[in-house]
Amino acid sequence: MFYKNIKAIIAMAFIYVGVLFPLQALAAPDAVLGKAKSQTCFACHGADGIGISPNIPHIAAQPPLSLFYQLVQYREGMRKGGGMEIFAKSLSDGDIRDIAAYFSTLPPPPARAGDAVKIALGQKLSQQNYCNSCHAPQLQGQKQVPRLAGQSIEYAVSQLRNIRSGSRVDMDGTMGSAARGLSDEDIEVLAAYAASLN
Amino acid sequence: MKLKTIHSLMFAAGLGLATLASAQAPAPAPAGPGGVPPTWAQGRTPDGMNPALVPNPSPLVAKPVNEILIDKLKVPPGFKIELWASGMPNARSMTEAPSGTIFVGTRFPGNVYAVVTKDGKREVKTIAKGLHRPNGVAFANGSLYVAELSRIIRYDNIEQNLDSPPTPVVVFDALPKDEPHGWKYLKLSPDGQYLYFQIGTPANIVVPPSTHATIMRLNLKTNTIETVATGVRNTVGMDFQPVTKELWFTNMGRDWAGEDLPNDTLNRLVRPKGMNFGYPHCHQGDWLDPEFGKGRSCDEFDKPVLKLGAHVSPIGLRFYTGSQFPAEYKGNIFIAEYGSWNRSKKVGYQVVRVVLDAKNNPVKLEPFVTGWLQGEEYWGRPADVQVIKDGSLLISDGEAGAIYRVSYGK
Repeated sequence: MFYKNIKAIIAMAFIYVGVLFPLQALAAPDAVLGKAKSQTCFACHGADGIGISPNIPHIAAQPPLSLFYQLVQYREGMRKGGGMEIFAKSLSDGDIRDIAAYFSTLPPPPARAGDAVKIALGQKLSQQNYCNSCHAPQLQGQKQVPRLAGQSIEYAVSQLRNIRSGSRVDMDGTMGSAARGLSDEDIEVLAAYAASLN
Repeated sequence: MKLKTIHSLMFAAGLGLATLASAQAPAPAPAGPGGVPPTWAQGRTPDGMNPALVPNPSPLVAKPVNEILIDKLKVPPGFKIELWASGMPNARSMTEAPSGTIFVGTRFPGNVYAVVTKDGKREVKTIAKGLHRPNGVAFANGSLYVAELSRIIRYDNIEQNLDSPPTPVVVFDALPKDEPHGWKYLKLSPDGQYLYFQIGTPANIVVPPSTHATIMRLNLKTNTIETVATGVRNTVGMDFQPVTKELWFTNMGRDWAGEDLPNDTLNRLVRPKGMNFGYPHCHQGDWLDPEFGKGRSCDEFDKPVLKLGAHVSPIGLRFYTGSQFPAEYKGNIFIAEYGSWNRSKKVGYQVVRVVLDAKNNPVKLEPFVTGWLQGEEYWGRPADVQVIKDGSLLISDGEAGAIYRVSYGK
């Protein structure tokens, strides 16, 4: 079922992502244009940037550069998952900038209440691991560093595990190094804590 | 509540950084999950938690030409700077083949480029894709050597096959796989027998394994490696002095120790083996590490020849061996400063000139090309320099994905 959807979405992608800019000159990022170019994304990530199922990330209110980086990495085959490498393939730099501009201006995902003990443990661990020195005080992300606040727990857990195992490679090794010492339980409480923020 | 407190603490810390940069007292290292700070964060102190100091994003795409602000670049009187080639995401290390082809390595996109000049026009060819941090490039005997993160590979007869490059030969693949400071600079020795490269320290500040924080060299005849120097935190730029054939290299100082300490440095290898430049105990030749310097003395170690400033991030350097520039430039060193991230006010983002006296001692350090930094915003980051056959100087820009050419006269 899920894969059928993806097939249909891929077919749509070629229809919607037809607006390409010449490489020699780029206009400033345009969120309105970005919304038009994001139609394909909505099927999974929602028009509001909130993923439709727990394994799909919320991309609302992500820092624009962070979205830009992830989409470029998918396009270049440096990151794989969820069929994103296929969707990103036909996007120009300008398309990606516009799409990033659109999702970054949406209201952030709501904070999610959960197991208070887990959240408290996660908060402590987050402090000990300096998560906020890059992901910012409320884990809202900055520059190329993604927002973790309000993120889907299932998605955050899967990504931290991928980074720990090395199947998802970060840019300069910092995140790989930061994840290496985490246990499965650590990852779970960190994700619960991040989800509880807004 | 607790978060609020932390927030305000960090805010205060940020103010402290801005106003009392030189008065930072080393604070106790905070404990990680097991009571030990996580490796990647060692050397950080609570006042180093300023969240504004996230590493600069690493470019994956090239800037379109309308965002390459060539008119902002300033050169000394009589010199001229022009955009020479563009469209090369993260263009960094350069090497020139005898034919004039420029090969360019990258850190992030995994590409290697060749820039060929035909009828006065440049053409950029992507000759390799999908490599892992192919930062180092060197050309020898018709072959292009590329240093990836953990191996060195070789493209034979590359110039005859730029449009369909051969499958590379793996030359040496037993290098460490650490990502932090794992990308390599590559330099062919003047006698053509060795490839010099570095193995950077695997974190900001740790006692590294004996293989790391070193300069190594690969013997191209025997395919064996040996350690050339130790205590080198991370050098991403090397060149041989044209007369003495000594190796000179830049070295990146540690982070999170202050706004103005320790300095990044320029170093000279006066003994072919056995020199130790102090990391992690002593930095910049005269400044003991707040933690790893305990019980040590900087007198134990070899010293840099020049301090370049803290956090300027010197990468590529070249001796000026051409004859196009005025005579006073002969034998000078040009250094590309990639620019700071671990400092509240940005520094670097320029190409500097080092003048040496007759005994090769630095006597002057001054900016040569500036303008990539406008206020606190940068639009480009110089990564390497290369003196080409006509005596002009190429500068690669890892942010814009471009190469500039500096020429004199005409």
